[in-house]
Amino acid sequence: MRDRPPDKLRVEEDIKELMVRYRPIITFRVRKAIGAQNTDCDDLVSEILSQVVEKISSGEFRGESSLGTFVYTITSRRIIDYIREKTRVMKFAPEPEPFPDPQETLEQKEMSEKVQAALEKLKPKYRNALYLYYYQELSREEAAARLGISPRKVSELVNYALKLLRKEMKI
Amino acid sequence: MRKCKFEDMIDGYLLNKLSERDKELFEEHYFNCPACFEELQARSLIINTIKNHPEVLVSEEASLKVPLATRLKRELAAFFNVRQLAMTGVISLIFLAVIIAVVPKRQALLPDFTLTDTETVRGSSITLISPVIDMNQVPSFFEWKKLGENVEYQISISNHELLWKTTTKENRVVLPDEVKAKMVPGERYSWQVKAFGPDGSLIAVSSRVQFLVSTK
Repeated sequence: MRDRPPDKLRVEEDIKELMVRYRPIITFRVRKAIGAQNTDCDDLVSEILSQVVEKISSGEFRGESSLGTFVYTITSRRIIDYIREKTRVMKFAPEPEPFPDPQETLEQKEMSEKVQAALEKLKPKYRNALYLYYYQELSREEAAARLGISPRKVSELVNYALKLLRKEMKI
Repeated sequence: MRKCKFEDMIDGYLLNKLSERDKELFEEHYFNCPACFEELQARSLIINTIKNHPEVLVSEEASLKVPLATRLKRELAAFFNVRQLAMTGVISLIFLAVIIAVVPKRQALLPDFTLTDTETVRGSSITLISPVIDMNQVPSFFEWKKLGENVEYQISISNHELLWKTTTKENRVVLPDEVKAKMVPGERYSWQVKAFGPDGSLIAVSSRVQFLVSTK
Protein backbone atom coordinates (compact mmCIF):
# COMPACT_ATOMS: atom_id res chain seq x y z
CA MET A 1 0.00 0.00 0.00
CA ARG A 2 2.83 2.28 0.85
CA ASP A 3 4.71 1.82 -2.43
CA ARG A 4 2.26 4.09 -4.22
CA PRO A 5 1.72 7.56 -2.82
CA PRO A 6 -2.00 8.16 -2.24
CA ASP A 7 -1.89 11.58 -3.87
CA LYS A 8 -0.71 10.02 -7.14
CA LEU A 9 -3.81 7.85 -7.26
CA ARG A 10 -5.91 10.91 -6.70
CA VAL A 11 -4.11 12.70 -9.50
CA GLU A 12 -4.89 9.83 -11.89
CA GLU A 13 -8.54 9.92 -10.95
CA ASP A 14 -8.52 13.63 -11.38
CA ILE A 15 -7.03 13.26 -14.83
CA LYS A 16 -9.72 10.80 -15.89
CA GLU A 17 -12.45 13.00 -14.56
CA LEU A 18 -10.79 15.99 -16.09
CA MET A 19 -10.85 14.44 -19.55
CA VAL A 20 -14.52 13.51 -19.33
CA ARG A 21 -15.53 16.84 -17.91
CA TYR A 22 -13.39 19.30 -19.80
CA ARG A 23 -13.05 17.82 -23.28
CA PRO A 24 -16.51 19.05 -24.39
CA ILE A 25 -15.97 22.45 -22.78
CA ILE A 26 -12.54 22.92 -24.37
CA THR A 27 -13.96 21.69 -27.69
CA PHE A 28 -16.76 24.23 -27.50
CA ARG A 29 -14.39 27.07 -26.67
CA VAL A 30 -11.94 26.10 -29.42
CA ARG A 31 -14.67 25.77 -32.05
CA LYS A 32 -16.15 29.11 -31.10
CA ALA A 33 -12.74 30.73 -31.37
CA ILE A 34 -11.37 29.24 -34.57
CA GLY A 35 -14.55 28.12 -36.32
CA ALA A 36 -16.21 24.72 -36.07
CA GLN A 37 -15.26 23.89 -39.65
CA ASN A 38 -11.57 24.38 -38.91
CA THR A 39 -9.83 21.03 -39.30
CA ASP A 40 -7.31 21.94 -36.60
CA CYS A 41 -10.02 21.87 -33.90
CA ASP A 42 -9.55 18.27 -32.76
CA ASP A 43 -5.76 18.50 -32.71
CA LEU A 44 -5.90 21.70 -30.74
CA VAL A 45 -8.28 20.21 -28.15
CA SER A 46 -6.07 17.13 -27.70
CA GLU A 47 -3.03 19.34 -27.36
CA ILE A 48 -4.72 21.50 -24.73
CA LEU A 49 -5.82 18.45 -22.77
CA SER A 50 -2.29 17.01 -22.76
CA GLN A 51 -0.95 20.36 -21.63
CA VAL A 52 -3.47 20.41 -18.79
CA VAL A 53 -2.58 16.85 -17.74
CA GLU A 54 1.12 17.59 -17.96
CA LYS A 55 0.84 20.71 -15.87
CA ILE A 56 -1.25 18.97 -13.23
CA SER A 57 1.11 15.98 -13.12
CA SER A 58 4.12 18.22 -12.73
CA GLY A 59 2.43 19.96 -9.83
CA GLU A 60 2.01 23.25 -11.65
CA PHE A 61 -1.62 23.40 -10.62
CA ARG A 62 -1.50 24.32 -6.98
CA GLY A 63 -5.15 24.99 -6.38
CA GLU A 64 -4.72 28.76 -6.30
CA SER A 65 -7.64 29.04 -8.64
CA SER A 66 -10.40 26.58 -9.44
CA LEU A 67 -9.53 23.73 -11.78
CA GLY A 68 -12.01 25.18 -14.30
CA THR A 69 -10.17 28.52 -14.36
CA PHE A 70 -6.84 26.71 -14.67
CA VAL A 71 -8.10 24.77 -17.71
CA TYR A 72 -9.72 27.93 -19.10
CA THR A 73 -6.43 29.82 -18.89
CA ILE A 74 -4.46 27.09 -20.68
CA THR A 75 -7.17 26.86 -23.34
CA SER A 76 -7.29 30.60 -23.95
CA ARG A 77 -3.50 30.89 -24.17
CA ARG A 78 -3.24 28.05 -26.64
CA ILE A 79 -6.02 29.56 -28.78
CA ILE A 80 -4.28 32.94 -28.80
CA ASP A 81 -1.01 31.24 -29.78
CA TYR A 82 -2.78 29.33 -32.53
CA ILE A 83 -4.38 32.46 -33.96
CA ARG A 84 -1.03 34.27 -33.78
CA GLU A 85 0.66 31.42 -35.63
CA LYS A 86 -1.99 31.54 -38.32
CA THR A 87 -2.12 35.29 -38.66
CA ARG A 88 1.32 36.53 -37.84
CA VAL A 89 0.85 39.85 -39.55
CA MET A 90 -2.19 40.80 -37.55
CA LYS A 91 -1.81 41.97 -33.99
CA PHE A 92 -5.25 40.88 -32.95
CA ALA A 93 -6.82 38.29 -35.15
CA PRO A 94 -10.59 38.55 -35.29
CA GLU A 95 -12.44 35.48 -34.26
CA PRO A 96 -14.22 33.87 -37.18
CA GLU A 97 -17.96 34.04 -37.27
CA PRO A 98 -19.40 30.75 -36.11
CA PHE A 99 -22.39 30.99 -38.46
CA PRO A 100 -23.33 29.52 -40.76
CA ASP A 101 -21.51 26.28 -40.28
CA PRO A 102 -21.56 24.55 -43.65
CA GLN A 103 -19.86 21.41 -42.48
CA GLU A 104 -22.24 19.91 -40.04
CA THR A 105 -21.09 16.54 -38.82
CA LEU A 106 -23.53 13.66 -39.03
CA GLU A 107 -24.25 13.89 -35.35
CA GLN A 108 -24.76 17.63 -35.57
CA LYS A 109 -26.98 17.11 -38.59
CA GLU A 110 -29.17 14.68 -36.68
CA MET A 111 -29.42 17.05 -33.77
CA SER A 112 -30.13 19.93 -36.11
CA GLU A 113 -32.94 17.96 -37.75
CA LYS A 114 -34.41 17.36 -34.31
CA VAL A 115 -34.28 21.07 -33.61
CA GLN A 116 -35.86 21.86 -36.97
CA ALA A 117 -38.70 19.46 -36.28
CA ALA A 118 -39.21 21.03 -32.87
CA LEU A 119 -39.10 24.54 -34.35
CA GLU A 120 -41.77 23.62 -36.87
CA LYS A 121 -44.08 22.55 -34.08
CA LEU A 122 -43.89 25.94 -32.40
CA LYS A 123 -46.73 28.39 -32.74
CA PRO A 124 -46.10 31.26 -35.20
CA LYS A 125 -45.76 33.83 -32.42
CA TYR A 126 -42.78 31.92 -31.00
CA ARG A 127 -41.25 31.34 -34.39
CA ASN A 128 -41.53 35.00 -35.27
CA ALA A 129 -39.84 35.99 -32.04
CA LEU A 130 -37.01 33.46 -32.55
CA TYR A 131 -36.53 34.54 -36.16
CA LEU A 132 -36.20 38.19 -35.34
CA TYR A 133 -34.16 37.70 -32.20
CA TYR A 134 -31.76 34.94 -33.23
CA TYR A 135 -31.70 34.98 -37.02
CA GLN A 136 -31.92 38.70 -37.67
CA GLU A 137 -30.15 39.37 -34.37
CA LEU A 138 -32.44 42.25 -33.54
CA SER A 139 -32.37 43.57 -30.00
CA ARG A 140 -35.37 42.86 -27.81
CA GLU A 141 -36.49 46.42 -28.39
CA GLU A 142 -36.18 46.19 -32.18
CA ALA A 143 -37.96 42.85 -32.27
CA ALA A 144 -40.65 44.32 -30.04
CA ALA A 145 -41.16 47.21 -32.47
CA ARG A 146 -41.46 44.81 -35.39
CA LEU A 147 -43.96 42.61 -33.60
CA GLY A 148 -45.89 45.43 -32.02
CA ILE A 149 -45.41 44.07 -28.50
CA SER A 150 -43.33 45.10 -25.48
CA PRO A 151 -39.64 44.15 -25.15
CA ARG A 152 -40.54 42.26 -22.02
CA LYS A 153 -43.02 40.20 -24.02
CA VAL A 154 -40.28 39.42 -26.57
CA SER A 155 -38.10 38.04 -23.77
CA GLU A 156 -40.99 35.99 -22.51
CA LEU A 157 -41.72 34.60 -25.97
CA VAL A 158 -38.07 33.74 -26.63
CA ASN A 159 -37.52 32.17 -23.22
CA TYR A 160 -40.72 30.19 -23.39
CA ALA A 161 -39.92 29.05 -26.94
CA LEU A 162 -36.50 27.83 -25.74
CA LYS A 163 -38.17 25.97 -22.92
CA LEU A 164 -40.63 24.34 -25.33
CA LEU A 165 -37.83 23.40 -27.71
CA ARG A 166 -35.75 21.80 -25.00
CA LYS A 167 -38.77 19.93 -23.74
CA GLU A 168 -39.58 18.71 -27.26
CA MET A 169 -36.00 17.64 -27.92
CA LYS A 170 -35.46 16.35 -24.42
CA ILE A 171 -32.12 18.10 -24.07
CA MET B 1 -35.40 26.81 -10.04
CA ARG B 2 -32.35 28.88 -9.22
CA LYS B 3 -30.93 30.68 -12.20
CA CYS B 4 -27.24 31.40 -12.60
CA LYS B 5 -26.54 35.12 -12.96
CA PHE B 6 -24.36 34.40 -15.99
CA GLU B 7 -27.18 32.73 -17.89
CA ASP B 8 -28.27 36.06 -19.36
CA MET B 9 -24.92 36.27 -21.14
CA ILE B 10 -25.45 33.10 -23.18
CA ASP B 11 -27.28 34.73 -26.10
CA GLY B 12 -24.87 37.66 -26.17
CA TYR B 13 -21.92 35.28 -26.18
CA LEU B 14 -23.28 33.09 -28.97
CA LEU B 15 -24.32 36.07 -31.09
CA ASN B 16 -20.96 37.81 -30.52
CA LYS B 17 -22.60 40.75 -28.82
CA LEU B 18 -20.62 40.75 -25.57
CA SER B 19 -17.79 43.14 -24.84
CA GLU B 20 -14.33 41.55 -24.78
CA ARG B 21 -14.30 41.75 -20.98
CA ASP B 22 -17.73 40.13 -20.57
CA LYS B 23 -16.83 37.50 -23.11
CA GLU B 24 -13.74 36.49 -21.13
CA LEU B 25 -15.70 36.54 -17.88
CA PHE B 26 -18.37 34.33 -19.32
CA GLU B 27 -15.85 31.96 -20.87
CA GLU B 28 -14.08 31.51 -17.57
CA HIS B 29 -17.45 31.02 -15.94
CA TYR B 30 -18.65 28.21 -18.16
CA PHE B 31 -15.41 26.34 -17.57
CA ASN B 32 -16.51 26.32 -13.95
CA CYS B 33 -20.31 26.08 -14.15
CA PRO B 34 -21.71 22.82 -15.57
CA ALA B 35 -25.28 24.21 -15.58
CA CYS B 36 -24.31 27.18 -17.72
CA PHE B 37 -22.25 25.03 -20.04
CA GLU B 38 -25.16 22.65 -20.51
CA GLU B 39 -27.45 25.57 -21.32
CA LEU B 40 -24.81 27.06 -23.60
CA GLN B 41 -24.55 23.86 -25.63
CA ALA B 42 -28.31 23.54 -26.01
CA ARG B 43 -28.73 27.19 -26.94
CA SER B 44 -25.82 26.98 -29.40
CA LEU B 45 -27.47 24.02 -31.12
CA ILE B 46 -30.76 25.90 -31.41
CA ILE B 47 -29.17 29.12 -32.65
CA ASN B 48 -26.96 27.25 -35.13
CA THR B 49 -29.99 25.48 -36.52
CA ILE B 50 -31.90 28.74 -36.85
CA LYS B 51 -28.90 30.36 -38.56
CA ASN B 52 -28.40 27.47 -40.95
CA HIS B 53 -32.07 26.77 -41.63
CA PRO B 54 -33.99 30.04 -41.25
CA GLU B 55 -36.60 28.76 -43.71
CA VAL B 56 -38.10 26.72 -40.89
CA LEU B 57 -39.09 29.99 -39.27
CA VAL B 58 -39.27 32.25 -42.30
CA SER B 59 -42.34 30.64 -43.85
CA GLU B 60 -44.24 31.83 -40.86
CA GLU B 61 -42.79 35.29 -40.75
CA ALA B 62 -45.25 36.35 -43.42
CA SER B 63 -48.03 35.36 -41.10
CA LEU B 64 -47.19 38.12 -38.66
CA LYS B 65 -50.39 39.79 -37.60
CA VAL B 66 -49.86 42.66 -40.02
CA PRO B 67 -51.23 41.97 -43.53
CA LEU B 68 -48.72 41.47 -46.31
CA ALA B 69 -49.55 44.68 -48.19
CA THR B 70 -49.13 46.76 -45.05
CA ARG B 71 -45.91 45.01 -44.23
CA LEU B 72 -44.55 45.67 -47.71
CA LYS B 73 -45.54 49.30 -47.43
CA ARG B 74 -43.86 49.51 -44.07
CA GLU B 75 -40.71 47.85 -45.38
CA LEU B 76 -40.62 50.27 -48.31
CA ALA B 77 -41.26 53.21 -46.04
CA ALA B 78 -38.26 52.15 -44.00
CA PHE B 79 -36.11 52.83 -47.07
CA PHE B 80 -37.93 55.72 -48.78
CA ASN B 81 -40.22 58.55 -47.88
CA VAL B 82 -43.10 59.31 -50.27
CA ARG B 83 -41.13 61.85 -52.31
CA GLN B 84 -38.13 59.56 -52.67
CA LEU B 85 -40.46 56.75 -53.64
CA ALA B 86 -42.09 58.92 -56.34
CA MET B 87 -38.69 60.02 -57.62
CA THR B 88 -37.52 56.43 -57.75
CA GLY B 89 -40.63 55.57 -59.76
CA VAL B 90 -40.06 58.39 -62.25
CA ILE B 91 -36.38 57.58 -62.65
CA SER B 92 -37.20 53.90 -63.17
CA LEU B 93 -39.74 54.83 -65.87
CA ILE B 94 -37.26 57.05 -67.71
CA PHE B 95 -34.65 54.35 -67.43
CA LEU B 96 -37.11 51.78 -68.77
CA ALA B 97 -38.08 54.06 -71.67
CA VAL B 98 -34.43 54.54 -72.59
CA ILE B 99 -33.86 50.81 -72.49
CA ILE B 100 -36.93 50.17 -74.68
CA ALA B 101 -35.77 52.81 -77.14
CA VAL B 102 -32.18 51.63 -77.27
CA VAL B 103 -32.44 47.85 -77.11
CA PRO B 104 -34.09 47.22 -80.52
CA LYS B 105 -31.51 49.46 -82.18
CA ARG B 106 -28.73 47.69 -80.48
CA GLN B 107 -30.13 44.36 -81.57
CA ALA B 108 -30.37 45.68 -85.14
CA LEU B 109 -26.76 46.71 -85.05
CA LEU B 110 -24.56 44.53 -87.12
CA PRO B 111 -21.12 43.23 -86.38
CA ASP B 112 -17.99 45.27 -86.82
CA PHE B 113 -15.79 44.75 -89.79
CA THR B 114 -12.63 46.46 -90.87
CA LEU B 115 -12.35 48.70 -93.89
CA THR B 116 -8.73 49.62 -93.60
CA ASP B 117 -6.21 49.38 -90.85
CA THR B 118 -7.59 52.50 -89.27
CA GLU B 119 -11.25 52.34 -90.19
CA THR B 120 -13.78 50.00 -88.62
CA VAL B 121 -17.45 50.11 -89.43
CA ARG B 122 -20.40 48.29 -87.98
CA GLY B 123 -22.65 46.92 -90.71
CA SER B 124 -23.16 44.19 -93.22
CA SER B 125 -20.84 43.74 -96.12
CA ILE B 126 -21.52 44.46 -99.77
CA THR B 127 -20.32 41.95 -102.31
CA LEU B 128 -18.48 43.55 -105.20
CA ILE B 129 -19.08 41.83 -108.55
CA SER B 130 -16.90 43.57 -111.09
CA PRO B 131 -14.10 44.43 -111.46
CA VAL B 132 -12.47 42.24 -108.82
CA ILE B 133 -9.59 40.88 -110.81
CA ASP B 134 -6.95 42.57 -112.96
CA MET B 135 -8.34 44.00 -116.19
CA ASN B 136 -6.71 44.20 -119.61
CA GLN B 137 -8.46 47.52 -120.21
CA VAL B 138 -10.04 50.25 -118.14
CA PRO B 139 -13.41 48.92 -116.94
CA SER B 140 -16.41 50.73 -118.34
CA PHE B 141 -18.72 49.91 -115.45
CA PHE B 142 -18.63 48.88 -111.80
CA GLU B 143 -21.15 46.42 -110.36
CA TRP B 144 -21.99 45.08 -106.91
CA LYS B 145 -24.66 42.98 -105.30
CA LYS B 146 -27.92 44.76 -104.50
CA LEU B 147 -28.82 45.04 -100.85
CA GLY B 148 -32.51 45.97 -100.97
CA GLU B 149 -34.91 48.75 -101.85
CA ASN B 150 -34.40 52.38 -100.85
CA VAL B 151 -30.69 51.99 -100.51
CA GLU B 152 -28.31 54.60 -101.83
CA TYR B 153 -24.84 53.46 -102.80
CA GLN B 154 -21.74 55.54 -102.77
CA ILE B 155 -18.90 54.30 -104.89
CA SER B 156 -15.37 55.60 -104.67
CA ILE B 157 -12.49 54.81 -106.98
CA SER B 158 -8.94 55.69 -106.05
CA ASN B 159 -5.37 55.06 -106.96
CA HIS B 160 -3.00 57.09 -104.80
CA GLU B 161 -5.79 59.55 -104.13
CA LEU B 162 -9.51 59.70 -104.67
CA LEU B 163 -10.19 59.61 -108.39
CA TRP B 164 -13.93 59.68 -108.53
CA LYS B 165 -16.88 59.42 -106.17
CA THR B 166 -20.58 59.23 -106.97
CA THR B 167 -23.86 58.03 -105.54
CA THR B 168 -26.56 55.92 -107.15
CA LYS B 169 -29.69 53.97 -106.27
CA GLU B 170 -28.67 51.22 -108.70
CA ASN B 171 -26.22 48.43 -108.00
CA ARG B 172 -24.19 49.41 -111.04
CA VAL B 173 -22.49 52.52 -112.28
CA VAL B 174 -21.08 53.36 -115.69
CA LEU B 175 -17.74 55.06 -115.60
CA PRO B 176 -17.95 58.55 -117.21
CA ASP B 177 -15.52 59.16 -120.04
CA GLU B 178 -13.61 61.90 -118.19
CA VAL B 179 -12.85 59.48 -115.36
CA LYS B 180 -12.06 56.70 -117.77
CA ALA B 181 -9.55 59.01 -119.40
CA LYS B 182 -7.78 59.50 -116.08
CA MET B 183 -7.28 55.76 -115.64
CA VAL B 184 -4.21 54.52 -117.42
CA PRO B 185 -2.90 51.02 -118.13
CA GLY B 186 -0.19 49.78 -115.80
CA GLU B 187 -1.74 51.50 -112.81
CA ARG B 188 -3.34 49.85 -109.82
CA TYR B 189 -6.77 51.10 -108.69
CA SER B 190 -9.07 50.31 -105.83
CA TRP B 191 -12.78 50.74 -105.34
CA GLN B 192 -15.27 50.49 -102.59
CA VAL B 193 -19.04 50.81 -102.13
CA LYS B 194 -20.86 52.12 -99.09
CA ALA B 195 -24.61 51.73 -98.67
CA PHE B 196 -26.83 54.26 -96.92
CA GLY B 197 -30.36 53.77 -95.61
CA PRO B 198 -33.29 56.14 -96.31
CA ASP B 199 -32.34 58.22 -93.26
CA GLY B 200 -28.82 58.64 -94.55
CA SER B 201 -27.23 56.28 -92.08
CA LEU B 202 -24.45 54.00 -93.18
CA ILE B 203 -25.76 50.45 -93.27
CA ALA B 204 -23.16 48.49 -95.20
CA VAL B 205 -19.68 48.78 -96.57
CA SER B 206 -17.81 46.62 -99.03
CA SER B 207 -14.19 45.73 -98.71
CA ARG B 208 -11.79 47.79 -100.79
CA VAL B 209 -10.91 45.77 -103.87
CA GLN B 210 -7.82 46.43 -105.94
CA PHE B 211 -7.36 45.73 -109.61
CA LEU B 212 -4.60 46.38 -112.08
CA VAL B 213 -5.22 47.72 -115.55
CA SER B 214 -2.70 45.78 -117.55
CA THR B 215 -0.73 47.36 -120.39
CA LYS B 216 -1.92 45.00 -123.09
